[in-house]
Amino acid sequence: MKPKVAFFDFASCEGCQLAVLNCEDILLDILGLVDIVEFREAMSETAPRFDVAFIEGSINREQDAERLRDIRARSTYLVAMGACACIGNVQARSNFIAPAENFQRVYGVEDRNMVQTDPEFWPLWAHTRVRAVKEIVPVDFELRGCPLVPEEFVHLVKALVTGATPRFSTQAVCVECKMNENECVYDQGETCMGQITRGGCKAICITNGYRCDGCRGILPHANLAAHHGLLQSKGLSEPQITNRYRLFCSAESLGRVGRTGHDK
Amino acid sequence: MSAFFVHKEAVTQWIRHLARSNTVYFPQRAGQSGFRFKPVKETTEIQFDRYQPTLAPPGKKLAPAEEPLFRYRKQGDAAPELVPILDQSPRILAGVRPCDLKGIHLMDRANREGHGDPHYLTRRTHTILIAHDCLQPCDDSCFCDAVGSLGWRDNADLFLTSLEDHILIEVRTGPGETLIQGMNFPVCTDVAAVKSRAEAQRAQPFGRQFHADLARIPAIIASQWQAPVWEKQVERCFSCGSCNLVCPTCYCFDVHDDFDLTDPNAGQRTRTWDGCMLPQFAEVAGGHNFRPNPAARQRHRVKRKFEYLTERFAEGSFCTGCGRCGRQCTTDIDIFNIVNDLIDHAEANS
Amino acid sequence: MSATPHASDPAIDPALYLPRMARILEVTPLTAREKYFKVELPEPLGHRPGQFVMLSLLGVGEAPISISCGPRADNMLEMVIRDAGSLTHVLHGLKPGQQVGVRGPFGSGFNLDDFYGKQVLCVVGGLGLVPMRSLIQPILAQLDRFASLTIISGCRSPAEELYRDEVRAWERLGQETGKVRVIRLVDRTQNLPWDGQVGLVTAPLSSLPIDPAQTVVALCGPPVMYKFVLLELTARGLSHAQIFVDLERRMKCGVGKCGHCQINHVYCCQEGPVFRFDQIAHLPEALQ
Repeated sequence: MKPKVAFFDFASCEGCQLAVLNCEDILLDILGLVDIVEFREAMSETAPRFDVAFIEGSINREQDAERLRDIRARSTYLVAMGACACIGNVQARSNFIAPAENFQRVYGVEDRNMVQTDPEFWPLWAHTRVRAVKEIVPVDFELRGCPLVPEEFVHLVKALVTGATPRFSTQAVCVECKMNENECVYDQGETCMGQITRGGCKAICITNGYRCDGCRGILPHANLAAHHGLLQSKGLSEPQITNRYRLFCSAESLGRVGRTGHDK
Repeated sequence: MSAFFVHKEAVTQWIRHLARSNTVYFPQRAGQSGFRFKPVKETTEIQFDRYQPTLAPPGKKLAPAEEPLFRYRKQGDAAPELVPILDQSPRILAGVRPCDLKGIHLMDRANREGHGDPHYLTRRTHTILIAHDCLQPCDDSCFCDAVGSLGWRDNADLFLTSLEDHILIEVRTGPGETLIQGMNFPVCTDVAAVKSRAEAQRAQPFGRQFHADLARIPAIIASQWQAPVWEKQVERCFSCGSCNLVCPTCYCFDVHDDFDLTDPNAGQRTRTWDGCMLPQFAEVAGGHNFRPNPAARQRHRVKRKFEYLTERFAEGSFCTGCGRCGRQCTTDIDIFNIVNDLIDHAEANS
Repeated sequence: MSATPHASDPAIDPALYLPRMARILEVTPLTAREKYFKVELPEPLGHRPGQFVMLSLLGVGEAPISISCGPRADNMLEMVIRDAGSLTHVLHGLKPGQQVGVRGPFGSGFNLDDFYGKQVLCVVGGLGLVPMRSLIQPILAQLDRFASLTIISGCRSPAEELYRDEVRAWERLGQETGKVRVIRLVDRTQNLPWDGQVGLVTAPLSSLPIDPAQTVVALCGPPVMYKFVLLELTARGLSHAQIFVDLERRMKCGVGKCGHCQINHVYCCQEGPVFRFDQIAHLPEALQ
């Protein structure tokens, strides 16, 4: 019996589902291993139960949380897919800003006031915090990154088929940088999040000439004090450092880094 | 064996000539300050004078970051087909500096001990080493002289020494000899004289020096298990493993399996680099970690280089002094400084 | 011109990392988490007690597994495997007739010459009984060559007891011969029926009727157990040279290359996993 697999999206750009669809050369082989029963980007079919539910996107509204709980209840395994689902991603930066201020920034003062006074909009106030999937329901596996890494997606599917435990890196991005024999970003006069960021991405950004911005989240063993000091020594201001830490991993870094009040 | 004294331009042409019928790796510029051992092409700049240690040491060509150990194909009830993957493609590593030449020698020792590693050794027998002496330290990070790597030539097939616009080519092995056949290089009539002229140009002292004789260092480090140096030297450590992965004598690995999407009955077992500075390296089933903190891991790394492997193989040092680990550590943790701190701490407490 | 390679290296064994295939003959659950596996190899394994194999499933992975049977002339290999990781989890789903890969045996193991003529004391905790059985079996098979055999075996609760019937058979053999003594303990009964003692494996040591001068100890258990057992044994006047310990590390290669099992300068997969304790007592990483 091939496992029944479903994809669901919440607050996201749906880029992770596209990344999966972009595995064109191997997609048919994957379909040989699993039955995809729900995939809004590619089909419209619904099923009562799933062996594996892939969740894309962060959870921003209470009705999303309800939908997520329902999916969890109908799934054997639940996979958080991509940075939004795993760690909140860029939209979680709004967690550091008062909701009223957020509304004002986006809609202007007048509409902000209307949102506050018109009962029709009051449910919007439930949108006060962007949450990662694991903050609401238990997550079995995480496919980190913005977007996810197709090789990790394939690896997870294979592991689920064999019953093996999938292996995801708990090492710094530096490991893969060294494997690629990249020149260190710091030796190019830039700064990088690679030393404190979960690897598994094959250091794709650095290998292609950019730096690591930490989209896979902060390592559990990250030496944040040392990294903060390093960024300072390279001339970054406190607000700049806070921005770097919060770009992708706001939800995850909450309480760990950037409690300096420079949120604007 | 024979020796030749050849104009640098002719040596450059010879390397290019070799590269037309062989895979020849030579240090080439990469990025803003780095070098990489990359295959020589017609347009590759071949120069012997400006050098910084490559990002990865040349020995990693013999133990790549990821390599298949074997391919398998399950055959129902019958025994599966198992095919070891041994890389017999010939390669020439040219422009290998003495520190890295020593590194390859030490990798040879470790991979030949007991159960010889077939994957490394197969590549090694198909590899020819053209080494090149250093008369000046490559930068402020190197300490090759302090660990006895400077002037190392034992495992070179050909050993090159630059002297102004000429290069002395010393042939050391049969495979080395085949590389210069037909080149009609001018024979060097007085090797000793050329060498002593080169020696006169060698910097003195050469690079950084330890605060104690190399021969004393294993015992000093052995006496410093509890030294505060270990904790102090990892305050800034990210446990990123970079120091392991760029080391010419780090060879630890992890192993994993993968099956083919196109045929789930077939697949391969692969090994990838691993490193003792990475947090989970010494974890056992059930989660107990025998080196649970960065200080314990750093101590293990330093002791491997300067005590454990040094004594196991009766080599002066398993650190080659190439300086890569310190150079590529983003918070400047330098094994040279750790060893000197340990020496100082031992002296102060003796 | 093309480069000529160096002469072939006699140290190259192309099959070093290739497993031999073995067929599963029997799978029996011993507890909720542990299963007993009996597999048949193409030829005898030829192992010593206390050695280990690298067990693998193609496409899943490889892991070090203790050998649980004494040396034997046939092609059988017995193991007890806890469902504790990726490979072992998949192994637990296998059935007789299916194939597993085996490399080895690896490591030093116990040398019976160290035990002949002695009062043998085996102290085991939890899964430690699995490798220790490979030493107990050959001792029981030639009991007249030993002064006596005492087995102190502890586990957390009656539900976690391994080789339940076999250990009681050893006990009965002891009553018949007078040369074997088995002390079975659990940390807590957890309200389950229990016909042994309650307590830690260290408890019986102080009053054990042994002659310290004639005793040799084999010790295997979780890392936390060693320190306390060693303290008790030292208090009884035993020297470190009379104690053999079987240590656990997570080997990835079994052949002294991957570095994972290193205890200070010692490669556990080569020089161990069984050590005479005086040879590693000075190693800070051995028992921490």
